[in-house]
Order: sequence, then C-alpha cells, then structure tokens
Amino acid sequence: MIRVEHLTKRYGATTAIEDVSFEVPKGQVVGFLGPNGAGKSTTMRILTGSLGATEGRATVDGRDVFTDAREVKRRIGYLPEVPPLYPNMVVRDYVAFAGQLKGVKDPVAAAERAISRVGLGKVGHRIIEHLSKGYRQRVGLAQALVHDPEVLILDEPNSGLDPAQRVEIRDLLHDLVEDKRTIILSTHVLADIEAICRRVIIINKGRIVAEDDIERLGGEQRTVTVAVARAGEAAIAALRAVEGVSAVVDEGDGRLRLTTDGDRREHVANAAAPFGLLELSGRARLEEIYLRLTMGATP
Amino acid sequence: MRNILAIARRELSAYFATPVGWLALSAFLLITGFFFAALVSLYSMQSAEQAFSPYGAPDMNLNEYLVAPFFGNTAIILLFIVPALTMRLFAEDRKTRALELLLTSPITTTEIVLGKFVGAMGFIAVMLACTLHYVGVLFYLGDPDVGVVASSYLAMFLLSGAFVSVGLVTSSFTENQVVSLVLGFGMLLLLWVLGWAESASTGLTAEVLGFASLINRMEDLTKGLVHTRDVAYYLSFISFFLFATHQRVEAFRWS
Repeated sequence: MIRVEHLTKRYGATTAIEDVSFEVPKGQVVGFLGPNGAGKSTTMRILTGSLGATEGRATVDGRDVFTDAREVKRRIGYLPEVPPLYPNMVVRDYVAFAGQLKGVKDPVAAAERAISRVGLGKVGHRIIEHLSKGYRQRVGLAQALVHDPEVLILDEPNSGLDPAQRVEIRDLLHDLVEDKRTIILSTHVLADIEAICRRVIIINKGRIVAEDDIERLGGEQRTVTVAVARAGEAAIAALRAVEGVSAVVDEGDGRLRLTTDGDRREHVANAAAPFGLLELSGRARLEEIYLRLTMGATP
Repeated sequence: MRNILAIARRELSAYFATPVGWLALSAFLLITGFFFAALVSLYSMQSAEQAFSPYGAPDMNLNEYLVAPFFGNTAIILLFIVPALTMRLFAEDRKTRALELLLTSPITTTEIVLGKFVGAMGFIAVMLACTLHYVGVLFYLGDPDVGVVASSYLAMFLLSGAFVSVGLVTSSFTENQVVSLVLGFGMLLLLWVLGWAESASTGLTAEVLGFASLINRMEDLTKGLVHTRDVAYYLSFISFFLFATHQRVEAFRWS
C-alpha cells in the first residue's frame, strides 16, 4: 500500500532523512519510532504531500506522491503533531470544511460520522479554541477520518496530553485499528505501539535502523535488573549459572543487570531469592530495543 | 471552483467570527460616513453661496463635487483598512498550523490562493455594499450620474483587489500578523505615493512612475471613464501578486 524508496530530504547542508526505504502492506498497522529530530515527521510530511523530497520516490496505492499528489491525498488521512485546526471555528463546521476540501460528496453527513466516530458528539457545537487539548486532538483525528481514507498517518497523536487524555486517545486508536486501515503511527509512548502495532520501523539520525515485526525485532536478547540485599561474588556466580543468562553486571547498591536469552525472569528470581531478593524488573522489550538502536547501547 | 468557494466561505465567515472583521467594518463605515456627511455639508454650503453670488449661479456638478471626492477618500480609507483584513490570511494559518490541512488536502495551490483572495474580496464587497445607502441619499436628494457611481464602485473594487493581492503575498512571508500588516501597508503606501513622485519627475522616470502608481489609474474611473487599459492594469497587477503568492505557498513544500 505504501512504498518508500531511497527517500532523502536535505535542508541546505542539513540532512533530515537519508536513503529511507520501507514498505507497509495494505491493512497493516506500523509503529514509526525514533528520537525527536530523527526524521519521522519529515518522512510523514513527504508521504502526505506537504513537503517535497530531495531524492527518492514514494507511492501510496501505486500512485506517486509527487506526480499524482491529488489522488494520493484523497487516500490519506493525516494528523500532524500539532492538529491543523482553525481555533475560531465550531467543531462541526471545521470537520465539514475539511470534508469539503477532501472532496466528500456530503461533507455535513461525513462530518457527523467522523465526529461520532471519535466521540465528539457532545462538543460538536462548540468553538474549537474552547476545547481541552484532548478534545482538540480528537477534532484533528475527525479531520483525518472525515473522507474515510484507506491510509491513516498519525504523528504523535498523544503528545502533550495528560494521562487520562492519553488513555482516551489510545482507546480511540485501538478502535481505528479494527477498521482494517493501513496506519502509520508515530508516538513516544512505546506501550501504545506494543499494544496497537504488529510491526515497527525505527529511524535514527535520518536513517532506518530497524524494521520488523515486534516479535522478531532484536532477536531474543532481553535485560533483567535485580536488586538483592546481599550482592557479592556468590550472588553474581549464582545468577550467572542460571540457564539463558549470558552476562551479569554489578551496577552497585546491590543492583545487578543481567542479559538473558528469552524471558528468564522466573529462574532469575529463584536464583536471587537466597540472597534477599528486593526487586526484579524486566524492561519492556520494545523499549529495550529502541534504546539500544537509538542510543547505541543499553544504558 | 468548489474548493475555491469552500475556502472563500471559510475566510469570509472568519471575518465575522473575530473582532477584527467587525472592527474593520465599523471603522470603515464610521470614517466613510463622516466624510460623506462632511462632503454633503460642504456641497450644500457652496451651492447656497453660489446661488446668492452676484455673478450668477454656475452649475455645481454633483458628480464632480461630491461623488468623486467621496470615492477618493474611500480609496484612502481602504489603503489603511485592507492590510488589517489581509494580515491574517496566511500568517494565522501558518502560526496555528492550519495551513497543513490545506497543503495535505487534494486541492491545488492556485485554489488555496484564489480561495483566500475571493474570501477577502467578499468581505470588502460587504463593506462597499454598506456604503450604498450614502449613494441612495444622493439619488433621493439630487441627480448623480448612475454611470459615474457604478464606475466609481468598479474602481473601489479593483483597487481593493490590488490591495488584497499585495496583502496576500506579504501575509505569506511571515507567521506574525503585525509584521504582515506593517509589510502590507508599507508596500501599498509605496505604490500609492509613486503617483506623487511622478509629478516631481520628468521624462521616462515620470512615465514609469505614473504607470506603476495605483492612484493614477483610479482617477478616470471615478469620473465615469472606464478605459480598458485601466481595468487591464488592475487585473494584471492583481494577477502578478497572486502569482507571487502562489509561488511563495509552493515554496512551503520545500522549507
């Protein structure tokens, strides 16, 4: 559905993305990860036609985003990091206006559908600038959905939201995934990516550094940290003897960091118990891989 | 066309959704109303003086003594008010990031620019329509030439079009509405005073300055003389600045 080939974007001497290539099959939900300034938004803006590329090619449903931009834009719903809202407009009028621009035959009816889809029914008559940030984000989502696009590109839909609003938006994204649309989702909330996406693309310093199913990403290697009351040579030796543990590093203060092959938390807990196990934490798998790929090594 | 009208409608309604539109409309009507009342009063006084003149009463032409000065003053008021109307057209969209909605919708840059232009012109049409009752008073009390009045309104509309096109391009260069206002007003003032500089120049310089001046082209129109060259001048002027705006908006895709 989406094919990106050797995409490069330079701003003068600065390279925002370089030789970026990936594919997203129809109906797949892909998490797009990377630190701030890694090139996520640039890639998304190129795909949505709001930014040109220096080199490379991108197609959506076989149509070139540069030469057949109009047709591509009809197929894409885009929510930028800052929702593109007109603060003085009433929610319902704004979404209908977006529908008109996107060529919907009956923009008023389409706006009503999109508004109810994102749970804005109660505030449809209100002026956008009077809404909370969470609701404004929903208005942005309604705008992206108003023409019922095959592809959704969402750039950090939960940035700047409080925890309750984040949960609301995550639930909404869950619902959207069930629509069987092709979705590219960029967010810093890795738990959301793990919950919603099957596949991730990780970009760092303008280059793709990983692209795979979450299950297969980064092999089987994981990190477990234990805190014991009596850390010492004996504890380290006991933990190193656990099957699947490849390394044990003493971080001081009774904390030991273990590198394991697969999920060995139960065996590690059993081995650490005689030394006064105080705490055991296994960093979320995606977070671990993300940090390793974007920061060079596991901190 | 559908997209142009959709954008124009949104822009037009935005003027009525913010204080700027109402303030501009109120100020325009207040000032034009003051000038109209002052001109009528002056005309009446002069007519009365002429009527009692021992040398006889020459004909005081209503079109020459009232209609032309009224529209001359209206043009100057528009020079001040139009930049305040156009300052937000692109600057606000850039600041709120709403421009991204337009750039990622299946519409062309030409449609975006024309939509905003038509929206602003729609508001100016409302402003000018609100002055029709002044003309109604003239028709009720006197006998102004319909042709002169119609061509004067045409002049105001073309002049406003030129002002809006300049305002559009200056608005596209900044996210700051105040900067947009100052740039727009500065450019218009410069184009306005070229006519004055013409009288202080000679030869080719005077010809060029006279040609570029926005004010010179209006004079014949407010006298009821509609020359194709004047209308073509304004249309070319508007087209040039709309094209410049188009190019500027296209450049957003590369910045």
